[in-house]
Amino acid sequence: MGSIVEPWAITENGNATAKGSSRELRHGRTAHNMSSSSLRKKSDLRLIQKVPCKTLKNILSNFQEVILGTKLTLLFLAIPLAILANSYHYGRPLIFGLSLIGLTPLAERVSFLTEQLAFYTGPTVGGLLNATCGNATELIIAILALANNKVAVVKYSLLGSILSNLLLVLGTSLFCGGIANIRREQRFDRKQADVNFFLLLMGLLCHLLPLLLKYAATGEVSTSLINKMSLNLSRTSSIVMLIAYIAYLIFQLWTHRQLFEAQEDDDDAYDDEVTVEETPVIGFWSGFAWLVGMTLVIALLSEYVVATIEEASDSWGLSVGFISIILLPIVGNAAEHAGAIIFAFKNKLDISLGVALGSATQISLFVVPLSVIVAWIMGIKMDLNFNILETSSLALAIIITAFTLQDGTSHYMKGLVLLLCYVIIAACFFVDQIPQKQPNGTIVGLQPKNNPGSGFFSA
Amino acid sequence: MAGIVTEPWSSAENGNASMTAKGSSRELRHGRTAHNMSSSSLRKKSDLRVIQKVPYKGLKDFLTNLQEVILGTKLAILFPAIPAAIICTYCGVSQPWIFGLSMLGLTPLAERVSFLTEQLAFYTGPTLGGLLNATCGNATELIIAILALTNNKVAVVKYSLLGSILSNLLLVLGTSLFCGGIANLRREQRFDRKQADVNFFLLLLGLLCHLLPLLYTYVATEDTPAAVISDMSLVLSRSSSIIMLISYIAYLVFQLWTHRQLFDAQDQEDEYDDDVEEETAVISFWSGFVWLVGMTLVIALLSEYVVATIETASETWNLSVSFISIILLPIVGNAAEHAGAIIFAFKNKLDISLGVALGSATQIGLFVVPLTIIVSWIIGINMDLNFNLLETGSLALSIIITAFTLQDGTSHYMKGLVLLLCYFIIAICFFVDKLPQKQPNGLNMGLQQMNNVVTATGGGVFSS
Repeated sequence: MGSIVEPWAITENGNATAKGSSRELRHGRTAHNMSSSSLRKKSDLRLIQKVPCKTLKNILSNFQEVILGTKLTLLFLAIPLAILANSYHYGRPLIFGLSLIGLTPLAERVSFLTEQLAFYTGPTVGGLLNATCGNATELIIAILALANNKVAVVKYSLLGSILSNLLLVLGTSLFCGGIANIRREQRFDRKQADVNFFLLLMGLLCHLLPLLLKYAATGEVSTSLINKMSLNLSRTSSIVMLIAYIAYLIFQLWTHRQLFEAQEDDDDAYDDEVTVEETPVIGFWSGFAWLVGMTLVIALLSEYVVATIEEASDSWGLSVGFISIILLPIVGNAAEHAGAIIFAFKNKLDISLGVALGSATQISLFVVPLSVIVAWIMGIKMDLNFNILETSSLALAIIITAFTLQDGTSHYMKGLVLLLCYVIIAACFFVDQIPQKQPNGTIVGLQPKNNPGSGFFSA
Repeated sequence: MAGIVTEPWSSAENGNASMTAKGSSRELRHGRTAHNMSSSSLRKKSDLRVIQKVPYKGLKDFLTNLQEVILGTKLAILFPAIPAAIICTYCGVSQPWIFGLSMLGLTPLAERVSFLTEQLAFYTGPTLGGLLNATCGNATELIIAILALTNNKVAVVKYSLLGSILSNLLLVLGTSLFCGGIANLRREQRFDRKQADVNFFLLLLGLLCHLLPLLYTYVATEDTPAAVISDMSLVLSRSSSIIMLISYIAYLVFQLWTHRQLFDAQDQEDEYDDDVEEETAVISFWSGFVWLVGMTLVIALLSEYVVATIETASETWNLSVSFISIILLPIVGNAAEHAGAIIFAFKNKLDISLGVALGSATQIGLFVVPLTIIVSWIIGINMDLNFNLLETGSLALSIIITAFTLQDGTSHYMKGLVLLLCYFIIAICFFVDKLPQKQPNGLNMGLQQMNNVVTATGGGVFSS
């Protein structure tokens, strides 16, 4: 297993020079990659050079790159703790919390590994890899929750991811960027943002129609007929959404690449060293092995999360809806979030927007329909009807964000308004104490005092 | 009373609004906003020659003061409605008369309060003046809302505030753009859309805050008790109100401090045919303050009459309370701004018209509404942000239509006409709507139509 042992001369900004953009073309870097790279740490390889055995040296440097190469390394400790807690049957809420914390660095490392692999596979496949694995955490949580027949958790966590990307990540980036650059005018290229909004609106339509089907039915139509109609419509829409996503990938990675390249000036001040040649720091097969390994650990922690979510919600006094919509996505998105803020501080709004909007589009048009199709294969009835409160929040979030970004400039007020919208939606779900009824009949969530079992959630 | 400036008022109605480049720095010093400049179009030149003949200096000063304040507006003829309304109340004349006279009397008062606020701004400096304008600019709506709250008429509060926002967004803006478009048919009319955009973000935030409590009622199933829903709605509304107030404060910081340049009126020097003079206050600080307090008290008095007599007036005139609150009251409260906005649109000064209309809408949507919720929280009345489906739907569509109309930075009469017609449609909708509203204290407001309508819809339409 060969690994390249030259010191990592690429710092967090070096990858993004104008010359770098041709290299980016070769290596399929997108805004997503560049944003996560802001959380990398320079690896200090001097200690390892002293180890005599060559293979051991290679393994150790490999290990250092992958495990210690991020500022979030500290959170890695949560993983063994979570496994321990599960084996020794500690309190379920504790397992839930530790798993959540452990997922954060894993998501970031998977993104790093995807980027490293992209060096070997070329730009197109690399871009594809990033597009699919970029939200690996959300995808795995969704599929595991489906396997446990917790359709509500799936829907809520995916919706929460979209809301978090559109309002929280974007809002904090624009707000911090606006405060930091208060005297400067901040501009960005709105064409890239527009493409994302078309697709998000199409996704919204796909969610809206099954919802309206329920309200369009008059009293005589039976619930099972409505559910069946909604299910068929959802499954067909999911196929259409996946077609749209594939077209989006072609658009982004092949025919209209130039719209999506980050625009930077050569003379922009980069206080860190300018790039030498970009090279991967770990070999292809080691990267692949690490990727598989990390995905397995993500799957394990997600299994804990999905299994313990109800107990955590009961003991913490929060509804399952609130935990799924607000807490889970904050954890899953933490790395991208930090990266987007850092780039906004540097007035590189195109990258922040690319991260936030790209993630939202990916979840809305790839992960959601994929979940519906996987549910179809498994025989679980998941449709695209996310219920009126959630769908309206989504609709208004898309409309507010689209309206905010449509003139191509930014100031802190825009970020503040988006952020406050997210806080209001979070408050709405925090206050919402109406219990959810799962399709298999169990009741999820808090029970109001004189109502043992009612549900508005039918799947 | 401190000394009154007795030089003849040489700034004519346009002089105050001279937005020359030099003038804009004067405006900066005196914190004039589009709101102030628009109302100034209704001022009248005070003719002080008659008063100069009065021998007594103190009397002369007093009369000058009186003339500036009472007679200094074209709406002065409506002032007699105030004593008429008071007399009618004491003589026990029928309530609809009191209602009508009070409404007529409120119109010049609203304009005078705006004038006094502007005068005080000369003394307090730009920032404080801007703040003063931002809070007192809609004094009438605020006072009506609080009085209606204390009388536990939550529906009237909600409707009148909603109607104010709709009136500003569609009626004022529509007529301004329409008249301005007709008057400037051959010219291209442009405005700076950045200022409009900030207002729309905030209005959309407000819309979100109204939408979510409304959706709670639809999220509930048959088993969930209504008390749980209204409780949730109340908690969410109160938290949202705090957030809306935070965003309004941030908006003030943005508008008056960090991004002031976006909001300065942009004008060319050659547009003004009237003389440009140095801006000075025409009344002193303390006399202005005293007048302001006095006028606010009179507004409170007339508003009290309005709130007390609204049901009787609605029955006599055969209009629903919602129609009167949503359509008639705001027209009265906004009349002065309305006229000003139209005049500035005629002069192709669209930035000012937009500033007035959108600024007022934002102020009501993000300041008066949450303030009312907080006041009701303190008083102990259950008012939430759930303005019911029809009203929230109208609000949502009017915000979206107006935002879309203004997004390209130009204007023509067709835009104004469409906004105006939207307003008429919404007005017709509420005119035709004869469903009675059920107050939280159990009384039935509005027309009592067939009883089966009441039983079918009374439980679900209004719960709070």
